[in-house]
Amino acid sequence: MPLKFLKQVSDYAKETVQAARYIGQGLSVTFDHMRRRPITVQYPYEKLIPSERFRGRIHFEFDKCISCEVCVRVCPINLPVVDWEFDKASKKKKLNHYSIDFGVCIFCGNCVEFCPTNCLSMTEEYDLSTYDRHELNFDNVALGRLPYKVTEDPMVTPLRELVYLPKGVMEPHGLPTDARRAGMLPEEIAQQEANKK
Amino acid sequence: MNPGIDLQGTFIETLMDLGLPAGVAKAIWMPLPMGLMLIGATMGVLVTTWLERKISAAAQQRIGPDFMGPFGLLAPVADGLKLVFKEDVVPAKSDRILFTLGPIIVVIPIFLSYLIVPFGQNLVITDVGTGIFLWISLSSIAPIGLLMAGYASNNKYALLGGLRAAAQSISYEIPLALSVLAVVMMSNSLSTIDIVEQQSGYGILGWNIWRQPAGFVIFWIAALAECERMPFDLPEAEEELVAGYQTEYSGMKFGLFYLSSYVNLVLSALLFAVLYLGGWDFPIPLNLLANLVGVSDDSSWLQVVDASLGIIMTVFKAYFLVFLAILLRWTVPRVRIDQLLDLGWKFLLPVGLANLLLTAALKLTFPVAFGG
Repeated sequence: MPLKFLKQVSDYAKETVQAARYIGQGLSVTFDHMRRRPITVQYPYEKLIPSERFRGRIHFEFDKCISCEVCVRVCPINLPVVDWEFDKASKKKKLNHYSIDFGVCIFCGNCVEFCPTNCLSMTEEYDLSTYDRHELNFDNVALGRLPYKVTEDPMVTPLRELVYLPKGVMEPHGLPTDARRAGMLPEEIAQQEANKK
Repeated sequence: MNPGIDLQGTFIETLMDLGLPAGVAKAIWMPLPMGLMLIGATMGVLVTTWLERKISAAAQQRIGPDFMGPFGLLAPVADGLKLVFKEDVVPAKSDRILFTLGPIIVVIPIFLSYLIVPFGQNLVITDVGTGIFLWISLSSIAPIGLLMAGYASNNKYALLGGLRAAAQSISYEIPLALSVLAVVMMSNSLSTIDIVEQQSGYGILGWNIWRQPAGFVIFWIAALAECERMPFDLPEAEEELVAGYQTEYSGMKFGLFYLSSYVNLVLSALLFAVLYLGGWDFPIPLNLLANLVGVSDDSSWLQVVDASLGIIMTVFKAYFLVFLAILLRWTVPRVRIDQLLDLGWKFLLPVGLANLLLTAALKLTFPVAFGG
C-alpha cells in the first residue's frame, strides 16, 4: 500500500516536470519569434508591387470596342452593360455607354481573355473602397482611367513580393532596386543552352 | 547598515524649522507620497499596456502601434482618452447602484495595496507591520466587486463571468497565501521592508528565489490567476462569455476594470520582486562595490545613487516579470474551468503546503540560512 502511494506521487511529480518542460519549450519558441523581423507591409505608405499577372480593376478602351457583347456572354454573371444602337448611316453598331460594376465583379478575367479587339485589360488597381456601393459601378470614362503605378507614386515605398526577391532574401525592405530575383530570364537560359553547344 | 535617504524625516524637519507644528508638517507631507504612488501606478499601467502591445506584436512578427507618437508610445494615452469620452451606458433593468459600485470596489483595494510596495529603505508610503497580510486581505475584496458587476449587469454572460472570477480568485488566494507564508516564516516579519532587508547583503545569492524554488512558481501561477492573466483568463473568455463580467460595461466604468487588471498585474510583479527577487536590492551588494572603489558608506551622493538605483531595480524586476507574463500569454493556451480548479486545489494547494512544511523544517535545521 505505501509503495503504491509512493509510485502515485512519483508519477505525479514526473508528469509535473514534463508539463513544466513543455511550457518551457513553448516559451523558448515565443521568445525566439521576438528576434525575427516583422514582415509587415505598412499599407498606405508601403505597397507590394503587384505581379505581372495580377487581376485588378478592368481597363476599357471605348474606341476599340465593337459592341460584340462577347464580354457579357463569357461573364459568369453577365455583368458588363453594353449600351449600343445600330447606326444606319455607317451600317455599324455604335457604342453609347459601357459599364462594369466592380462591387459585383469577381475579377475572373474572362472578359479580358475573350475580347476580340483587346479593348479590355487588367490593371494593378486593387484598392477600390468607397463610401457608397454605387460608386463602384464604373462607366466607360471611369473604366478608361489608368491607375497610379505603385512604383511611380512618390508617396509610396514599393516592396517586392516574395517570389521577386533574390535567392535567400526574405525581407523586401531596403533592397537595392537593381537586385535581381532568383532564377534566370528565358533569354538567358537560351543563351546558356547555345553556349553549351 | 546605513538607513539611506529619509525624505520624510528631512521634509518634516525643514517644515518644522520654518515654524510649523509637527502635526501640520506631517499632514503636509502625507499626501505627497500617496499622490506620487497613484501617478506612478497609473503610469505603470500605461507603460504595461504599451509593452503588452509591442511584445505581443514582436512575438507574432508584427510591428504593433507605430504612428501614435514615437514607437506608438501615445497609444495607451489615446486608449484612455477614448474611454473617458465614451458614453457611460447603464443597461436596462440592471441594478444601477451595484453596477456602479462593482468597478469601484474592484479598483480601490488594488490601489490601496500600493501602500506597502517599497522602492527603498524609506521609499514606501507606510511600513505597515502586517504589510503582506494587508495585501492578501485587500486582494480578497476584489471578487466581491466582480460578483457585484456580474450580477448587476442583468446579463447571463456577465453573471457567469462574475461567478467564475469569484471562484477563481477565492481558490487561488489559498496557494498564494501559503507561498507568501513560507517567505514570511523565513524573514520573521510580515513587513515588506523587513522581507527585503532579510534578503539583502549577499547580492543576487541572498534572494529568496534560491530558498523558495517551489514557492516562487506557486506564487507566480497564483498571482497570474488572481490577475486573470492569459492562461487563466476564463472569466472573460471571449469565445464563451463575450467579455465576462465586463460585457455590459462601457466608458470609464469599463476603463476602471481595464485599469484594475493591469494595476493588479504590475502590483503582483512588484510584490514578486519584493518577495523573491530582493526588492530594491542590486544583484551585487552595493556597499561591497563602494568599499572596492573606496567611497564611504555615509557619503550623500552614494545614498542618492543607492536610492535611485533601488527604484530602478524594483521597477526593472517588476517589468521583467510583466514581460514574462506577456510571453506566457502567447505561449500557453487558456485552461478550462475544471482544469483551473484542479490545478488550484489538487496541485498548488498540496505543493504549497508541502513547501511550507519543508521551509519550517529547514528553518529548524539550518537557522543560519533560513532565518531562524
